[in-house]
Amino acid sequence: MPSVIETKSVVVEYPSIRGVLRLYDQGVSLKVDQGDFLAVLGGSGWGKSTLVNVVLGLEKPIHGSISFRDHNVTRESFVKRCGLVKTAAVFQRPTALPQMTVSQNLHLALSLAGVPRKERDERIKESLAFFGLDKIERSYPDGLSAGQRRRIDLARALAVKPELLVIDEPTGDLDGSATNLLIPLLRGLNRNQGTTIFMTTALPRQASQAKHQVHLRPPMVLTPENRTIGD
Amino acid sequence: MGIVAVEASLATIGPPAFGSRLWLSLLVVPPTVALASVSTTTRRTKEELALFAYGGSSWQILLRYFFRGAICALIAFSPVILQGFLITTSIPELILPALALLLAGGLFYSLPSLRRIRSSSFVENYKS
Repeated sequence: MPSVIETKSVVVEYPSIRGVLRLYDQGVSLKVDQGDFLAVLGGSGWGKSTLVNVVLGLEKPIHGSISFRDHNVTRESFVKRCGLVKTAAVFQRPTALPQMTVSQNLHLALSLAGVPRKERDERIKESLAFFGLDKIERSYPDGLSAGQRRRIDLARALAVKPELLVIDEPTGDLDGSATNLLIPLLRGLNRNQGTTIFMTTALPRQASQAKHQVHLRPPMVLTPENRTIGD
Repeated sequence: MGIVAVEASLATIGPPAFGSRLWLSLLVVPPTVALASVSTTTRRTKEELALFAYGGSSWQILLRYFFRGAICALIAFSPVILQGFLITTSIPELILPALALLLAGGLFYSLPSLRRIRSSSFVENYKS
């Protein structure tokens, strides 16, 4: 069976004050199979969120390739990639629309995903209950805690029943108790529902909960001298 | 205020026919809706980020803003269009500028959004 995601020698560069910042100098090569739970571990500023964006097609690498189920999608958009593998993303920053209630946010996500209207209510109910959000379904995200907003994003992502869940630092802005709840929840999702998970984290303890780990290396600042040597 | 002043002064110079008044309004619509769109950049950016995260495409987002801009223009100019219906003798002469108004409203309301989502810094908003 082809891998859900495969990256080969992916390199990203950014202009910075000190010179060009090269992420993943040796290139990131990884494989995520169906039903896998992969954690990408790296320090702050090492390109974890960038790798999430690259995998989702929101940023393009300067070198290397990304495949979804053996289809080269390096230059394809997020929507095109979703056509190959039904993907849901949870970013570091909460994305729930502040002018909509929790359940309206989920409704919008399901309508964009093309879920038939009659199925939506059932799925929303199920997803909100799973994340313990059923009591706040009529609340607006701005009045909720960081942990609750993170769970809204997860509920929204999982309501579409994705094959692949891409999640960037799931416990980034959560307190200890919320963190303790979230990781087992992701493991449960992976184990019980077979959702393939691609997660980034800066915490080795969290990464150890995944089935596989990939370690990023610190970025490299390219000057005219070492750029010539490296290239 | 400047836009209203320009429109008012041009309307007095131009031909008195109603159709001409409506065509003149086309000068007002693009900057007004573009300003309306730009003035809510923070809110719009959040919306665009959410829609992308929810699996929406650029086209879906642009279409959403296009309709919003067209509706803004339609509501704003509804008294003028209504007046046109009451006094005009030729409906096609009224429909053409009215359609042009809607098109301009939609287009110029969605252009700032297009610029934002095409910008390389847009996805940086997903990172904290």
